[in-house]
Amino acid sequence: MVPSRQRRHLFQCLDTICIFPDLSAMKNKINFQRLVLKNWVLIFLLLLICFFSILEPAFFSIRNVNNILIASTAVLLLAAGETFVIISGGIDLSVGFIMGFSAVSSATVMQFLFAKGAGYPEPVCIIAGCLAGLLLGLIPGLVNGILVARFRVPPFIATLGMYGIANGVAMKICGGFPVSFLPPLTGKIGNGYLAYYSSKSGLSLFQKPVLTDRADILALVRLVPVSVIIVAVLLIIFGLILSKTRFGQHTYAIGGNVDAAIRSGIDVPRHLIRTYVISSFLASCAGVLLVLRFTMGNHTQFGATYELFAIASVVIGGASLMGGKGTIYGTVVGVLLLGSLEIGFVMIGVEVFYRYIAVGCILIFAVLVDQVFPDLVHNE
Amino acid sequence: MKKTVIGLLVISLILAAAYGALAADKTFKMAFMPGIADPFYFTMEKGAQAKAKELGVELIVGEYPKAWGPESQVPILEALAARGDIDLIFTAPTSSEALIPVLKKIHDRGISVITVDTYIGDGDYTKKSNYNFPLAFIGTDNYLGGKVVAESLAKMIGGKGKVMIQNTNPDVSSVVGRGKGFTDGIKGTPGVKLVAHEYCLDNQEKAQAQVGAVLQKNPDLAGVFGVNVFSAQGAYRAIVNAGLTGAVKVATWDATEDLINALKKGEVDLVLAQKPGEIGSLAVEWGYKYLKDGTKIPDKKLVPGFFVFTKDNVNDPDAQQYIYSK
Repeated sequence: MVPSRQRRHLFQCLDTICIFPDLSAMKNKINFQRLVLKNWVLIFLLLLICFFSILEPAFFSIRNVNNILIASTAVLLLAAGETFVIISGGIDLSVGFIMGFSAVSSATVMQFLFAKGAGYPEPVCIIAGCLAGLLLGLIPGLVNGILVARFRVPPFIATLGMYGIANGVAMKICGGFPVSFLPPLTGKIGNGYLAYYSSKSGLSLFQKPVLTDRADILALVRLVPVSVIIVAVLLIIFGLILSKTRFGQHTYAIGGNVDAAIRSGIDVPRHLIRTYVISSFLASCAGVLLVLRFTMGNHTQFGATYELFAIASVVIGGASLMGGKGTIYGTVVGVLLLGSLEIGFVMIGVEVFYRYIAVGCILIFAVLVDQVFPDLVHNE
Repeated sequence: MKKTVIGLLVISLILAAAYGALAADKTFKMAFMPGIADPFYFTMEKGAQAKAKELGVELIVGEYPKAWGPESQVPILEALAARGDIDLIFTAPTSSEALIPVLKKIHDRGISVITVDTYIGDGDYTKKSNYNFPLAFIGTDNYLGGKVVAESLAKMIGGKGKVMIQNTNPDVSSVVGRGKGFTDGIKGTPGVKLVAHEYCLDNQEKAQAQVGAVLQKNPDLAGVFGVNVFSAQGAYRAIVNAGLTGAVKVATWDATEDLINALKKGEVDLVLAQKPGEIGSLAVEWGYKYLKDGTKIPDKKLVPGFFVFTKDNVNDPDAQQYIYSK
């Protein structure tokens, strides 16, 4: 016997699995309201883009879209992992530092292989470094998962512990200095684009045309940053895992009602361990990507508060910290909202202090929408 | 006979006690309490260790706090003071206000205090105040450094054009001082205009995005000043990615190997190095003089200068000592 409230909640969870806005909801006014509320973040993002573009025409340009997307890559990956954990009813505070740990380890391996010059070509150094970072980055997630699932340590505490450990180990490896002197090819991959177009040299794939005049350099059109492609592929894969697979459905079920999940035969501890490993894996991907972008491995600064931005994006994207709700699509929109806000405010010259206030207001507003209109937002 | 034995025993005991007291006087124990785990303080420790070895001072280094702030620093500092065998502590206070009572307590226990790199109150320990008890402040003049960078950058861009500051935190005295110095410094060159002052919270990704955004708004940007390692790394990466290496001049603060390498490659045009090693070394040297002979530090303030790296001097053998290293 499942009590009716719980049953309703389970249905709510299943509803949120739908990742695309439902267009048939346009039929009547209530449905229209629902559509607006359900997609308020996306609508807010579009309004924001209009607002910034009117105040500062340079905002609406390919170059600026690239800037926003590239600046969001790391947070997108962290927030995607965080989405899994939050839906399962947990929280992962260690993502930012796992990213730093993975960046430092992969850069150290690259530096070692490259500096020795023992006949290792650049691609070998880079691949070995990336693999090392990705594999080592699984360990913190595994530890987090085992602590949470097997030893019942509250996720907040387990990952707060890992927060310090991951950064401590990272700083021990790099000694507080950026790990640099990596193969130059790293930067070319991380900062490359799929295509370039210049009125002088025409269209070229992967190869950046050599331009000397400042006006020409500024007029160069770059299409689709490689780092963004990598992130998009990962997001689609993990978005599908969450929305279309049994693994994803179990994640919602556990977050919705863990007792019901156990009774329906889900191996909850095993599932939770995997969830934290996914979060840790995506954080390592972000770390490796940072190495490719900056041609150096840095530990994450404590002041950078990556984990808070990741959690905020997930919540703005419609997830509930109680678990059972949220989508990768929502999270992506949440990250892009915060990213556009940041860049837009820089461009229109709003003082930094107002930005903190704005981000805080949006976060609270996101939760309010959820609290005030729970049925409109989450029921079909 | 008995009396003689007792007498001898007493004499030997007195001698032993006196010898013990003399031995304790011979080696002074100093403690160094850094502000945060970063290359700057590591280099400072190196300078201090070398001087301590030279003078025969025992130097105890407190655990490096992982975050900047009194919450992280004060517990370690108090544990250090509680050991009870330390004669002098030199530390970088992580808050100009919150550390006053903490350091005062340490001072009242008979431990001398020197502040390095950052200060308490307004840093002037000569006037009457509740924070004038430290022996001295030994550190860089951030304001002056900002001015030096501003003047050099203005010269590099030919005395006219738009510039920006890529800062880190709006609430840390050192970087705020650099920003202020820079802002005042460019006032000397009327053709130079400050178009943006951004804060990246020590996040180089954010620094890159912010410089990119300012460049988007001001395509004719002529110069960027990155006030610390992370803002500088983000700033020069943004300029390199925009393909404007050399066209937009990049001035940075703190001489890490990576920034020096970027300077050699032409991706950075100026690196201002503080002298953390010298700060550490001066703290031990003057602390030793004070403990041994009671020598006071003039004006309670010592300010080692800067070293400005440019493409022209980066390979000079004399300059290499100013690069921060492990």
